[in-house]
Order: sequence, then C-alpha cells, then structure tokens
Amino acid sequence: MSIAELESRELQLEPSAGGLWSDAWRRLRHNRGAVIGLVLVGTFVFVAIFAPLIAPEDPRFQDLSRLGGSCCPGPSADHWFGIDALGRDELSRILYGARYSLLIGVVSVAVGLSIGLVFGSIAGYVGGAVDSVIMRLTDIMLSIPGFLLAIGIVAMLGPGLIQIMIAVGVTQIPIFARLIRGSILAQRDNDFVLAARSVGVPKRTILSSHILPNAISPVIVQGTLALATAIIDVAGLGYLGLGPQDPSTPEWGTMLTDTTRYLQTAPHLAIIPGVAIIMSVLGFNLIGDGLREALDPKLRGRG
Amino acid sequence: MLRFVVRRLLLLVPILLGLSLLVFFWIRALPGSPATALLGERATAQAIEALNKQYGLDKPVHQQYFAYVKQLGSGNFGTSQTSRRPVFEEFKQRLPATIELAVSAMLFSVLIGVPLGFLAAKRYGSFFDQFSLVASLLGISIPIFVLAIILKYVFAVKLGWLPTVGRMSVLINIEHPTNFYTIDALLAGDLEAFWDVIKHLILPAIALGSIPLAIISRITRASVLDVQNEDYVRTARAKGVPPRTVDGRHILRNALLPIVTIIGLQTGLLLSGAVLTESVFAWPGIGTWLVEAIEARNYPVLQAGILFIAVIFVLVNLLVDLSYGLLNPRIRLS
Repeated sequence: MSIAELESRELQLEPSAGGLWSDAWRRLRHNRGAVIGLVLVGTFVFVAIFAPLIAPEDPRFQDLSRLGGSCCPGPSADHWFGIDALGRDELSRILYGARYSLLIGVVSVAVGLSIGLVFGSIAGYVGGAVDSVIMRLTDIMLSIPGFLLAIGIVAMLGPGLIQIMIAVGVTQIPIFARLIRGSILAQRDNDFVLAARSVGVPKRTILSSHILPNAISPVIVQGTLALATAIIDVAGLGYLGLGPQDPSTPEWGTMLTDTTRYLQTAPHLAIIPGVAIIMSVLGFNLIGDGLREALDPKLRGRG
Repeated sequence: MLRFVVRRLLLLVPILLGLSLLVFFWIRALPGSPATALLGERATAQAIEALNKQYGLDKPVHQQYFAYVKQLGSGNFGTSQTSRRPVFEEFKQRLPATIELAVSAMLFSVLIGVPLGFLAAKRYGSFFDQFSLVASLLGISIPIFVLAIILKYVFAVKLGWLPTVGRMSVLINIEHPTNFYTIDALLAGDLEAFWDVIKHLILPAIALGSIPLAIISRITRASVLDVQNEDYVRTARAKGVPPRTVDGRHILRNALLPIVTIIGLQTGLLLSGAVLTESVFAWPGIGTWLVEAIEARNYPVLQAGILFIAVIFVLVNLLVDLSYGLLNPRIRLS
C-alpha cells in the first residue's frame, strides 16, 4: 500500500469531522440541555442589551401614589410584575437588572480568567520554584471558602458595584490558575511541542501558539460554569447589602434584600428576582455542561 | 499511618502562616488607620504618635507581623469594637449555632443525596435517573438565599407549618450549658423544647443543604456507574453473592471514595453558605456575626472570623484526607 493510499484511507475514516469547533458546535446543537441553555442565555443577553427598548418605564422612576396605601400591588395588566415598595415598576427593574448581572458576571470572570491564565501558564510552563510558589499561593487562597474571601475583599475595598466585580473575580483566580497549569503540564510533553522546540521556536511562542490553544478547551468549559457561580456570588453579596450603594440600582441580588419583610403581603417581590437569577444561572450551567461533553476529545466525531 | 498524619499536619504550617500573612496585610489595607479609628478624626499628631508607639505601629512592618503572629499564638485575637468582648469568646459562643445548622444540612444532603444518586445509577437512563439529573442541575443553579426565601415564604409564611426566624421560640426557657440547642433540650429532658428546636432547624438546613445535596447525588451516581461495571462486581454476581450484598459491599464501599472527598469539600463550603442562610433566617451563628461586623466595620471580628473559618476549612479537609486512609488501604501504604 502506498502512502497516498494510506492517507486516503484515513480521510475516509473521518468523513464528517470538521475542525474542533465546528464539530463541537454540531454536537452542542444536538444536546437538548445545551439548547435550552442557549435559549435562556440568549434571552438574558437580548434583554440586557435592549432593556431600554423593552422596558415600559425607567427602572428608577418612583410613584408612591401607585402603592395605594399598602405594600405592594401584585401583578396587574399595567404592571405585569407588580410594583415594588417604592412605587417602581418591577418588570422594568428586572429587565434592567439583566444588564447588571451580565456585566458583573462577564467582568468578574474576565478578571479571574485573565490573571489566572497568566499565573497558571507561567507556573505550568516554567515549573520549578516559580511553580511551587504560585501553587502554594493558590493553596492559601483556596483555603478560604470563595464567598468569604469575596466578603473579605469587599470589606477591604468598600461596598460597591466595581468592588464586588473585583472581589468575585479574585476568588476565581486560583481556580483558573490551577486548571490552566494542569492543562499545560498535560500538553508540555506532547510531540508537537518537542518538534517546535527542536526547530528553535522561542519559548514564548511555543507557549502562546502551540500549548495554550490546545490547553484552552477545559478553560472554556470552566469559564462558562464560572459565569454561573459569579452571578450567584454577586447576587449573594448584593443581598447582604455589599453591592451597589445606590439602592435604586436595579441589581437582582440587591432587589431581594428587603423583600423578606414583605413576604406576607408581596411575595412577588422576592420570587420574581429570584426566578430571574435562577434562569440565568441555569442557562450558563446547561451550556457549560453541554460544552464539556462537546469539547471532550474522547467523544469527537460522534453525535 | 502516623507518619502520614504528621506529614499532613506539617503541611498545615505554611498554609496557616500564609493565611495569617494575608489577613495581616488585608487589615492594613483597610481604609482608615487604627489610630484615627480609636481616637477619632480630630486627634492631635502627638496623640496619634503616642498611640502608634503604644501598639507598636511605629515599628517596621515585618516586626509588626511577628508581633501579630505571637499574639495569635498566645490565643489573643483582639476585642470586638461593638461589644468590647474578646473576639474568641464571641466566636465560641456563636460557633455551636453554625455547627448545629451545618451538621443538620450535611445530614439532610447525605441521607438523601447518596441513596438518590445510587438509585439513579442503578436505573441508569430511566425516568428516575433523568429526574435526578434535572433536580441536581436545578439544585446548583438556585442561589442558597433565593431558595431560603422561597422556602420561608411557602412553609413559614403561607402554610405556617414552621417558624420563620431564630433557633427557638421565645416562650420556651431552658438552660444552655453547651449552646447546641438540640443537646441542651435533651439534657433538660424537655421533649417539647427539643421538637421546637428541630422545627426551627428544618428550613435553614434544607436551604443550606441544597447545593451539597445536588453535588453529592451527582457524584454518587457517576461513581456508582463507574464501579458497577468493574470485574470484581461481575465476579461477585457470577459466584452468586446476593444482590444486596453486592450493592453494599462491592459497589457502594468502592464508590465511597469520591463521595467522601466531595462531602468533605462541601462541609467546608457550608461555612460560607451559612452566611447567607443565617442572614435570611436570622440565625444567631457565625454568619450573622460576620455580616453584622461588616455593617459596623468591626474589623477585629472580621479579621479573626475569616481566619477561624479558614482554619476550620483546612482542618476539615485534613480530616477528609485522613479518612481516605481508613476507606482505602492502598493509600495508607504509600
């Protein structure tokens, strides 16, 4: 058998396998959970972007006369999600709240991911004492439960929107750093790295254009799941009153803060933002799980 | 085994030192200097200098850090700014409430999560299996405090079956020698009080246990699926071991290792979940203590509180690692 024949044979064995990404996308589309996740996240992103066009009112507009002497009017034809304790339209606040949750989630994961990426790849590629120092540092950070670490950082920086983004981002640094280090260690001794090294490719280029692209898929999965965690943590910090200090900010967690007082008369004020948080978190979790399966090299070419 | 324990304990030292360093610099990065916090904004320069000298704040940073570690070593964790009581004393008084809550939450999640995951794996692909997967996905997607609020609304406010806040009804009066109210009630021999304490525990424990429940059932399912196709399980079946014994002795025992890991990890994480749960149910534990400290900018409490929790977290993880040795003789040898 000639070499050409062998090659044509191999090509026949993998007829449908396009690139890693088109293959993964195809499998993601066939995963029912992931599709639901995409719809949920798609809606969430759409609402976040077009909130000013969809929302019936300014989320900060107050009209106490609408309360009618009690707290608080429930859903009605004019106000689908009811009125909150300060006479604001709950639907508008929920719609605008999507902006905050999305923004906070993306920024904090970006903080954690980028810093984790730098430290993790240095640790994994350089190795030795540098690796030990970075790994011990992550050990220490991981020895404080993430949410408490975030509380500690907020106490240091003071409450506020930007502060909670940083705090939640910092708690994710060690997770990403370890993940990337492990992934790089697994790639470092591959043949293509050896080949690149033997033809004299500089270390930095090997790391950035040979190792990282191959080590990235677990990071994408973790990044998606981290968005879910970030939204939960940020809502939790907001609920504790550590979020935006301007109480008119329509952040979902902050909106829940005082609602336990009105549970008897106005349960919708607690349940609606709660459901909004659950839906967005669920969406990211579903996509993350779907991606994990879709990017698993053991399953490539199937589905 | 002893060498293993000693080595693990030695590994604690750098982690604890690192933690103390982190907390030390954290407290120094907080807004406002200790002198102005104690003396007020309008203190004279001399007064500030005198105070800095008195507390050693004029010394170089590394000396301050050594002094701080020495102070920690002698068991002095500072004084709460609001109550003027030693921080450690307050911590000891509040810890039982949080432990009681965390243990109940863990019991709830293990007692339901392990059988749920086991049955799901045994009926792989069935409706029950699908249901358990969806339920566990929902479990990790619902923030603890949202679930806590929903539970409180349904079972406490709407149905009125369970109390809304606190650890015990105000009408009941018993002695509190241990501050574990369940134990206190039993010591007093007061069954009515005991039932009252249990009723107060149910909702917070379910809320706090929801995430561990979801994760434990998921891991149990995956682990049992892995183990039940092993050769030794087939051998046991082939030689006619009763199914019940195979389930218990061959499958569950071997599937237990990852389950124990996750239980340990989750126990540590319960401490941070407790902050939110306690705040919804006005539970007088470590969580509300920390939240109150944040609101009042009570830094000594925050500093020591976070240090204590980190130490507990590390110790729990150590216990988990040690329990591997008991469950898996292969690790004990190496």
